[in-house]
Amino acid sequence: MIWAPRWALRQASTRWTGTEAVASRRGFIAGLLATGLAPAATWADAGAPSWLSAAGLPDGGFVLCGIGPDLNLRFRIALPGRGHAAAAHPTRPEAVAFARRPGTFAVVIDCAAGRQTAHLAAPEGRHFYGHGAFSLDGRWLYTTENDYDAARGVIGVWDAAHGYARAGEFGSGGIGPHEIRRTPGRETLVVANGGIETHPASGRTKLNIPLMRPNLSYIEDGTVVDSAALPGSMHKGSIRHIAVSALGEVAFGLQWQGGEDGPALVGLHRRGTPPRLCTASEADLRAMQGYVGSVAFTAGQRDVAVTSPRGGLVQTYSVADARHTASTSIRDACGVAPCRGGLLVASGTGALQRIGQEAARADHAALMWDNHLVAV
Amino acid sequence: MRLAALCLALILPAAATAQSAAELVQNAVSQHIVPRYDALAAAGARLKAAAEDDCAADAQGLRAAWNDAFDAWISASHLRFGPAETGDRAFALAFWPDTRDITPRTLRGLISSADPVAGSAEDYADVSIAARGFYALELMLYDPDIQALGDAAYRCQLVQVMSADIANVTAAIASGWHDGYAETMMHADGGPYRGTDEALQELFKALTYGLEFTADTRLGRPLGTFDAPRPKRAEAWRSGRSLRNVVLSLEALRDLGVLLAAPDAQMADALGTTFDVALGDAEALDDPVFAGVADPVGRLRVESLQQSIGHVREIVRDDLGPALGVASGFNAMDGD
Repeated sequence: MIWAPRWALRQASTRWTGTEAVASRRGFIAGLLATGLAPAATWADAGAPSWLSAAGLPDGGFVLCGIGPDLNLRFRIALPGRGHAAAAHPTRPEAVAFARRPGTFAVVIDCAAGRQTAHLAAPEGRHFYGHGAFSLDGRWLYTTENDYDAARGVIGVWDAAHGYARAGEFGSGGIGPHEIRRTPGRETLVVANGGIETHPASGRTKLNIPLMRPNLSYIEDGTVVDSAALPGSMHKGSIRHIAVSALGEVAFGLQWQGGEDGPALVGLHRRGTPPRLCTASEADLRAMQGYVGSVAFTAGQRDVAVTSPRGGLVQTYSVADARHTASTSIRDACGVAPCRGGLLVASGTGALQRIGQEAARADHAALMWDNHLVAV
Repeated sequence: MRLAALCLALILPAAATAQSAAELVQNAVSQHIVPRYDALAAAGARLKAAAEDDCAADAQGLRAAWNDAFDAWISASHLRFGPAETGDRAFALAFWPDTRDITPRTLRGLISSADPVAGSAEDYADVSIAARGFYALELMLYDPDIQALGDAAYRCQLVQVMSADIANVTAAIASGWHDGYAETMMHADGGPYRGTDEALQELFKALTYGLEFTADTRLGRPLGTFDAPRPKRAEAWRSGRSLRNVVLSLEALRDLGVLLAAPDAQMADALGTTFDVALGDAEALDDPVFAGVADPVGRLRVESLQQSIGHVREIVRDDLGPALGVASGFNAMDGD
């Protein structure tokens, strides 16, 4: 019996009629795989990449890449437009690459076969924000979306067992949901509602800066069960990127929209307690230029790392006392993910750099790594 | 022409030293920014005086003063950093687009309850930012529904307090530039700018932001989609200013763009010519509030203007940015 959340059962019968034929064939194959009657492919069949990242090419094309622990490419698959982040299926060698905001495509890629297996189109009146996450068992894919005429953040739900058919949606708990992550080992989703209203008719123009109210929302079973916001004086700190530790602690990075430098760019939150803002010297804070592009816990989860492509910087903060511990200069650094002994940082220059105990570097000169490194 | 511009971009780092980056920043501050904010403050003071003189919504003197001050704001509206950003002053002058109709809703609330907050400009500075500035005042002066609400004496008081608030805010921005920020920007060495390159980057951002806002928001919002054009989303349509605002913003952006491209005469020339094509499209449009977006021919002409601005944006991004040394990385420019 596959666990299905209430909203999915509620909406499934009305939503799936249009794609039934396709869905049932795919569902049959997926069902075989799930029951073990066919040899199920695993991430090892895709060359066992440790990370995924989208990238831009010098000719203007875009790809999704699998990166091995040796920092070499395991696969490289073309995307129809500029990507942003990706989501790795928890068991199958399957990844979903999301279009950059305000894109409307996401593609499901069989990373073992090196081909696209499904295409997700955002429903009418919605666009993707570039992030998504799978449920614990990999059955459901959740995507952050903009219901732009209503200026409402939405989490779209897609059924991975039925060709990624749209299965439903629910409110994200705010405006401008950006990164979404699932708490390890649980079904609780954490969403960074950046608070910024945009509408595709006015491009990427920010429409509500003086009124924005970002928050961090916790969602279970389609319902916001908890929400955390920063003090009113920090309402222009757009909570955009998050990471979740094994214990469920959330690290978040801000993109500051105010004229003056904000008092902090990084914070930590545990449900039931107020957010802790991380401190850094004025110079260290300024060097980030008010902009965090990605957030990750280090492998041992003692530190949080944040990148600023604008400042060309990676900073780490200690989780225990929420203080700045180190800065590393890397030009156009953005994607960051844990790796053995420390962190892996990807840059728009093509560089992949391990920092921490085992420093290493690989330069992929023909790739501009885009925004996020996703651990598989 | 494009190829020439591109070749020049490659050799410009050498040319740029002829007119140093510091000189460019000084020129922009003294010739482009400060005169605009001075003119805005003067027009704001005249608006306040005109409202005190005659607060009737259809008073010619008041409407003329409001239009003049709005002109001055549009000509400076791409310069949203520093004193204009402090305390959300730019938003206090210009809350638009108002996607949730917060401005009319807030005004209706104030008028129907004859809210005493309209008693002084100082108190009024605490109302919702959506009920302040040029767009809120436009509703007071040009919207028949608002003019039918509540009592005339209160509406008069509201017009006067909003005008006085605009005068205060525009004066504060001008003071901010004269009392330190102009110096800070021209001699960048710490403070908000660690060096001249950061000050130059700020100016470049103002140019790209202004072009983006005019193309994507001033034109993009009324265009909507082919199936759902949105003429009533045009900027300041009630007062018939939509196209006028586009023209004024393009003229101001042309001034800044050409000034920043000045070290390379050919690039400055190419940029100016491309701006002129867009301005020519705008002047030939003959559609002051973009009502034509709802029919195929009129729509095509607004789209063509948008494309002409797109050509300006290409030169700014591909040629001017690299020449100024402010073009940054794949991720740094992303904004996500």
